[in-house]
Amino acid sequence: MCFKNLPVEFDDSGKAFLKGGIPNPYAAAAGPANVPMQLTSQQVEELVRRNGHIKSMDFDPVTRVAGALAFHCVTDFNARKVIEARSVATLFRGYEVIMIGRDPRDAIYITSRACGVCGGVHSTCSSLAIEMAIDCVPPPLGVLVRNLALALEFLYDHPLHLHLLAGPDYSAAILEGTNPSLLARARTTEARHTAAHGYRTIGALMEDLNPLTGHLYVEALHMTRVAREAYVLICGKYPHPQTIVPGGMSSTITLSVMNEMFIRLSQFFDYSKKIAGIWDDITEFFYDSNPRYKDVGRRRANMIDTGIFDHPDAYDASYKNAPAWGDRRWATPGAIVDGELVTTDLHKINMGLEEFVEHSYYEEWTGSGQQQHFATDPSGHPLSPYHPWNKITKPRPGGQSWKEKYTWDTAPRWDRLGMEAGCYARLWNTAVAQKLPANPFIESTGHSLKMRVPQGALPEMDLEWHVPSVWNAFERNRARAYCVAFTAMVAMNNWLAAMERLKNGDTKTSTPFEIPKNERLGVGFWGAGRGYLTHHLVLDRGAVSNYQIVTPSTWNASPTDRWGQPGPYEEAVMNTPLLEETDDPKAFKGIDVLRAIRSFDPCMPCTTHIHSDAGVITREVNTCACGVEE
Amino acid sequence: MRTLIGGIGYRNLRDHSVAFEVLERLEREALGDDVLVEDTSYNPIALGQWLDSEPVDHRFERIVFVSAVNREGRRPGDVVSYRWMGALPPDADIQQAVAEAVTGIIALDNTLVIGTYFKNFPASVTVVEIEPLAHEFGSELSPAVAAAVPRACAAIRALIAGGV
Repeated sequence: MCFKNLPVEFDDSGKAFLKGGIPNPYAAAAGPANVPMQLTSQQVEELVRRNGHIKSMDFDPVTRVAGALAFHCVTDFNARKVIEARSVATLFRGYEVIMIGRDPRDAIYITSRACGVCGGVHSTCSSLAIEMAIDCVPPPLGVLVRNLALALEFLYDHPLHLHLLAGPDYSAAILEGTNPSLLARARTTEARHTAAHGYRTIGALMEDLNPLTGHLYVEALHMTRVAREAYVLICGKYPHPQTIVPGGMSSTITLSVMNEMFIRLSQFFDYSKKIAGIWDDITEFFYDSNPRYKDVGRRRANMIDTGIFDHPDAYDASYKNAPAWGDRRWATPGAIVDGELVTTDLHKINMGLEEFVEHSYYEEWTGSGQQQHFATDPSGHPLSPYHPWNKITKPRPGGQSWKEKYTWDTAPRWDRLGMEAGCYARLWNTAVAQKLPANPFIESTGHSLKMRVPQGALPEMDLEWHVPSVWNAFERNRARAYCVAFTAMVAMNNWLAAMERLKNGDTKTSTPFEIPKNERLGVGFWGAGRGYLTHHLVLDRGAVSNYQIVTPSTWNASPTDRWGQPGPYEEAVMNTPLLEETDDPKAFKGIDVLRAIRSFDPCMPCTTHIHSDAGVITREVNTCACGVEE
Repeated sequence: MRTLIGGIGYRNLRDHSVAFEVLERLEREALGDDVLVEDTSYNPIALGQWLDSEPVDHRFERIVFVSAVNREGRRPGDVVSYRWMGALPPDADIQQAVAEAVTGIIALDNTLVIGTYFKNFPASVTVVEIEPLAHEFGSELSPAVAAAVPRACAAIRALIAGGV
């Protein structure tokens, strides 16, 4: 059974239908069972009142232009644990409102601005939604080149996360202030993957993770350039591409372009081997030093991903055939619940999606006589009134209250569960589902992904990412590191396929289209470097009548839901032990909490002030404007 | 002297887009073959990498940045020029500037800090700042800032003519 909480059943042919005899099935459906819950605000206030060592700690952002994340915690310093955690997206940007009434083609350029890193994924997702709505199928080379473009964008994004944003949390410079004994141990601990990365000790590796001066930091800056150069060969510019269109790509692809691209792509062969070794060593060192690090950022392995990188022989842009072309993607779609892959079917993934706003600065759009616009999806499967195709964005700013509303992010849920998005879901689904086509570079084993990375300066190397037994901050980063190799090898497969097309004289990259005037539905199922991305589109009279974006950080930064179930950041922080080597709250830096948050790769920068009752400590945290209601 | 005139700002953000108006006017003028007028409103790390990629014997010897920036004590439309002396903030702030740069924040201050820290700039860097008023979606400059455009252009011309 795919759904355990939604009022949806399936007949013998697999067709979904609503359980009978329930007047208002989605409203009546129970909340999820056996999930973590937040304490109520009253319970927390009582704990704070009775215990002097329990204190509130606010990570309060100063934002620049785009969105930002704030984080409120209540911590028990004696027990070294977090009692309450609240994730706060502090900015409303309103892309969904901006899009209403516009020509759908505007969405490609407007929604790109949702992110300063991954504009291309929004442009692409938007194009896919339009393609579906207007029945426009891109030619094979258009599909392949689009895959290449987005793989290259991810090759910008992964090093950025690993060594510019999250990496410094594991650097010598940070450990010196938070865990000096751990750093001392690192300096005498031999690294296991010296052959791949060249560091003899973990301490030496940590020195090079130092921000600004560390070699790995500086090298990551360089690698972002390499990826960007390859990207602009086909997308015109970065981060907001000019060549992504419904029906393919508007770029002219020649052998020269392909060769220029390969020169840059191939630089990621050795880099991916090195990165995997580095994050294997970092992870194992922390686990060996103190097994409680396995609890930093720990949460249930509940994940969702729509898959990405289409196969040109399968993708037909239709909703009807989405389960079929989804299964042929280079990254398999999937929903994982408690570590088990429960479906790879894009219809079911879409059907199970709902967004709630009990703790968000929006008005409910259901009730008050509001008719549900779509009772079913285009294939006749039931849809919730809380589904994005039925959602109406009604911003309602207000004061902050943990009991009431406290964030601009919504609470997306799948089968009413708090799901996590990340490129690691991409790896996990693909590893377990075993649906990859035969190819020279990637093998799905059912429990791991094997990647054969070609020779560079380093010899050809086999990397293997294993589905982890525990899900935490370290495993998120480790999986992100292996995603460099995975992405590069997906790119290689697509590069070879594109070259074959070009050799045979196939240079067509796009299909002409017209915008119809009747009501149409579309959804872009795609992904960012940091995971899941959907754009739900309703067209009417040639214009956008509804547009809803759900990003990775919409999932990850989501607030507690109507049933008291925390969002992923909140849950991960609540499980995080405070392992800093200090008994002095004034010296407390909150590094383990920050490691937990950063491991999700919130994407836009902000400055976070950790405010404890003893004072304010300023630390940088990076969060995602994508998490803000788009 | 090979000179880059770089504009920094956001498109369609009223007064915060004033740099592009200045660039468009200057592009129409004969400033000389050794003067490049360029939109430098992008990731400052990428800007630095571009500057470094110029041939060693053909690098810019002088940069003039123009941008709308809110500063205390100024009135809307004020045009202020100064030579960037390269004073850097604490490392934590530089790190923050890098994090913002690579995740899409476009800002004059970040550009100055990053370009200086990574030694991407020539010895001569001059900044022309215009005090903005209107900060909202749109293409129209406020009257005070529109009136500042000719003064900003004149200031840049004078800088180039003076060899600063």
